[in-house]
Amino acid sequence: MRFRRLLEQAVPLLSLMSSIILLAAITTVLGFLFLKGWQSLNFQLLFGTTPPLDAILFKRRVFDCLFPAMVGTFSLVCLAVCWAIPVGIAAGIYLAEYAQGKIRIFFNLIFDVLAGLPSIVVGLFGFSITIFLNKQLSNQIYPCLLISSIALAFLVLPYIIRATQASLEGQPESLRLTALALGASKMQNIVRVLLPQSLPGITSGVILATGRCAEDTAVIMLTGAVATAGVPRSLFSSFEALPFYIYYISSQYADQEELATGYGAAIILLFICLMLFSLAFVIKKRVRLSAQYRAH
Amino acid sequence: MKKSLGVFFSLLMVVAFATDSLAGALDIFTGEKGEVRIAGGTAHIPVMKEAAIRIMRHNPDIHISVGGGGSGAGIKQVGEGLIDIGNSGRKANEDEISRYGLQMFKWAIDGVAIVVNPVNKVRSLSQEQVAAIYAGTITNWQEVGGEDRKINIYTRDEASGTRAVFWKKALAKGNVAKNANFVVSNGAMKAAVSQDSYAIGYVSIGHMNDSLAGVAFNSIEPTLANVQSGKYPIARGLYSNTKGEPIGLVKKVIDYLFTAEGQEIVVQKGFISVK
Amino acid sequence: MRRTTEQIIEKICFFSALISGFITCSIFLFLLIPGLPLFRGGHFFSILTGPWEPGLGQFGIYPMISGTLAVTMLTMLFAFPLSLGCATLISMEGNFRLSRLLRKIVEMMTGVPTVIYGFVGIFLLVPLVRNFFVNGGSGMCILSAALMLTLLASPTMILLFCDSFSRVPHSYGDAVLAVGGTEVQKFLYVTLPCSWPGILMGFTLALGRVLGDTLVALMIAGNAVQVPGSLFDSVRTLTSHIALVFAADYNSPEFQAIFACAIFLYFFSTLLAVSVRLIHSRWRINT
Repeated sequence: MRFRRLLEQAVPLLSLMSSIILLAAITTVLGFLFLKGWQSLNFQLLFGTTPPLDAILFKRRVFDCLFPAMVGTFSLVCLAVCWAIPVGIAAGIYLAEYAQGKIRIFFNLIFDVLAGLPSIVVGLFGFSITIFLNKQLSNQIYPCLLISSIALAFLVLPYIIRATQASLEGQPESLRLTALALGASKMQNIVRVLLPQSLPGITSGVILATGRCAEDTAVIMLTGAVATAGVPRSLFSSFEALPFYIYYISSQYADQEELATGYGAAIILLFICLMLFSLAFVIKKRVRLSAQYRAH
Repeated sequence: MKKSLGVFFSLLMVVAFATDSLAGALDIFTGEKGEVRIAGGTAHIPVMKEAAIRIMRHNPDIHISVGGGGSGAGIKQVGEGLIDIGNSGRKANEDEISRYGLQMFKWAIDGVAIVVNPVNKVRSLSQEQVAAIYAGTITNWQEVGGEDRKINIYTRDEASGTRAVFWKKALAKGNVAKNANFVVSNGAMKAAVSQDSYAIGYVSIGHMNDSLAGVAFNSIEPTLANVQSGKYPIARGLYSNTKGEPIGLVKKVIDYLFTAEGQEIVVQKGFISVK
Repeated sequence: MRRTTEQIIEKICFFSALISGFITCSIFLFLLIPGLPLFRGGHFFSILTGPWEPGLGQFGIYPMISGTLAVTMLTMLFAFPLSLGCATLISMEGNFRLSRLLRKIVEMMTGVPTVIYGFVGIFLLVPLVRNFFVNGGSGMCILSAALMLTLLASPTMILLFCDSFSRVPHSYGDAVLAVGGTEVQKFLYVTLPCSWPGILMGFTLALGRVLGDTLVALMIAGNAVQVPGSLFDSVRTLTSHIALVFAADYNSPEFQAIFACAIFLYFFSTLLAVSVRLIHSRWRINT
C-alpha cells in the first residue's frame, strides 16, 4: 500500500523530470548549432564569390560554397518525389478501395516491411543494382543522380502509400455512400469525391516524404553523392547534397572556416526539414505516426 | 532541365572565353566537353579538388566529380569501370594490375606522419614504441614520456593506402589493437586527432598543419625536406590509376597534373613534386 | 466504354501496388545474389559468429552484431522511460498549456535530420564525454551514440504513446474519477494497463529505427571492430560497417560480408514489422 502511494506521488514528478530532460537536451543541441553557426550564414556561404544572380541562373559555375549542394538536394528531392507519387498514390488507392482479404493482408505486410527497412539497406540495394547495370550495359551506368533518386523513391514510397490509404479509409461511410447512391460508378466516386476529400492527408504524406528525401544521407552516400561535383548537369552526373556535405565536413574539415560552412549547412538543412514537417502537421493534424519510423 | 542548362552553358562559354585571360596549361581543355569521375585515395582530394575547380572554371562544359573512399576503393572502382580515375596512395599490386589492366601515374611524393594532439608533449617515438602502442601493449602516455592518460588509438579502414604504407613501414606489419577507433580519410584523421588531446594517429604529410603535432619517428622529423632527402622512411607516392591507356579528356586531366601548373598545385597543397 | 476505363484504372492501381511489392522483394534479391557465395560455401552462420580479421582472411560480423545490440539496448534503456514520462505529462489532464507546448516541441523534433544529431554529437557530446569521464577514452563510444540516438528515437515514441493513451475509452477513466480516484490513479491503474499494446508497438517501432540508424553511430560511435566490454568502448554497428566497407572489391569476401550485414538487417526489420502488424491487429480486436 505504501508502495502504491509512493508510486502515485512519484509519477507526476518523474514525468515532469523526463520532460525537462528532453527539453533541455534538444534545446542544448539546437542552441549549440545556432550559437556556433549563425555567424557563418551569409551570401558568401551560399554562393561563394560568384554573384548570387549568376549562380541561380546557372550563368556561372560556382564552387567552394553550398549552392551546388543545395541544387543537388533540390533536384534529388524533386526527382525522388516525382517517381514515388504516382506509384504511391495508385498503390494506396488500390489498397484502400480494391484490395480484399488475403491480398490486402499480404500487401499491408509487404509495405510494412518496406517501410521498416533501414535506409542503408536500401542504399546498398541501389549500389548493388548500379554494379549490376554497369556490368550489363558495358560501363554505361555509374552511381548518379538518377540512381540515387530512384533508391530514395523506394525509401519514401511507403509513406505516400500509407498516407493515401489512411486518408481514404478515414473518410466517413456516409460520404462514401452518397455518390454511389446517386448512381456514380466506383471510379467516379473515388476520383470525384473521395480523393478530393483525402487531399490534405495525401499532401501531408507527400510533404513528409519530401522531408525524408531531403535529410537522408545513408542512401545517397552509397549511390552517387560526392564531395565536389559542382551543380549536377544531367541525370547521370554525380552530385553534391546538403546532408552528405554536413557528414563530409564533420569528419574532414581542413580548417575552422570550412567547419563553419558545415554549421551553416546544418542550420539550413534543419530549417528546411522543420519547415516541411511543420507544414505536414499543419495540413493534417494527425499524421500517421508509424510511417515516420524509418531508420536512417 | 538538361537542355536548358546546356543552353546556359553554351552561352556562358562565350562569356568565359571573353573573360578568361588565363592562358597556359588549361588551354588543352578548350573545346572539350564531358564528364570525369575521380574517387579513391583521400590524401589526393585537396589537389584533385583544386585541379577540378580550375579546369571547370576554365571550361564549364567539363564536369569533374571528386569523391573519396580510400585507395583500395579507388583501384577497385576504376578497375570495375565505375569511375574514370582511381586514386591510390599505394602502388597497385601485381594482381590488381594484371586483372584490371591498370595504368599508374605517380604525380606526387608524400610521407605518412605519426601525429598527436599539440597539447600532448610527446614528440618523438621509436619504431618499437609506435608498434607497441598500435599493438595495444603500451596503453598509457606515461610509458613513452607523456601524461598519465590512456592512449586513444586512431587508425584507418582496410581500403586506405595510408594505412597500408604505415602498417608496412612503421608497424613492420604488426598487429593493430582491436579497440582502435576507425576514421575514413586523412581529413577525418586530422579532425579526430586535433580534437582529442590523448590521441595518436597517422596522416599524409600534405594534410599536416598546426592543429596537429608531428612525432619524430626514430628521431627523424616528419617533414617534406626529410621525405625528399629520403631520410624519413614512411614515404610513398600518390598515384592516379586508369583502366588501360587513358584517352581523351581523362588523359588530359592526368596530363594537366604533370604540367608546371599542376605540380604547383601539388606543392601548394603540401606534397612533393615529382619533377 | 466507361467500364473498360474503370477496369484499366483499377488495373493501373493494382499494378502500382504490385510494383511496390515487387520492389520490396527485389531489394531482398539484390542483397541475396551478391551474398550468395557465402551461402553456397556454407559460411553464412560462421560469418554471423566469427571475428573480423581481414588480414587473416576472417570476415565474421559478430563484433558488428554485438556493437549494434549494445548501442540499441542502451538507447532503448534511456529512451523508453524518457518517452513514457513525456507521454504521461502530455496526456494527463491538468496543466493543459504546458502539455500542448511540449507536444508541439516533440512534433517538431520528429523533423530534425539524423545527420544533425551526428554533427552536434561530434562537436558537443563527444568532447563532453571525453572530458567528463576519466575513462571516457576518445569519447567516441557506445554511450555517446546511445545518448544522441535517444533524442532521435524518443519523439515518435512519445507521440505513439500519447496516441495509444487517447484511445482508451473515456468512460473507463471517468469511472475512476467517479469513485473518487485522482488523475494519477486513473492514469496508473486504467489508462496505462489498457494501452499496453500501443506502448509495445511504439517500443518495437523505435527499436527498428535505432537498430537501422546509420549516421549517428557512424559519426560518433568510433567504429572500432571489437566486442564491447564497457560503455566507453568504441564500437562499429552493422549499418556503419556497410557504409565503411561498401567500396571493396566486388569479388572479395569483405564485400560479400557486408551483404550478410544487410541481409541480417533485412531479416530483423522484417521480424519487427511483422510483430508490429500482429500487435496492431490484436489491438484492433481488443478495442
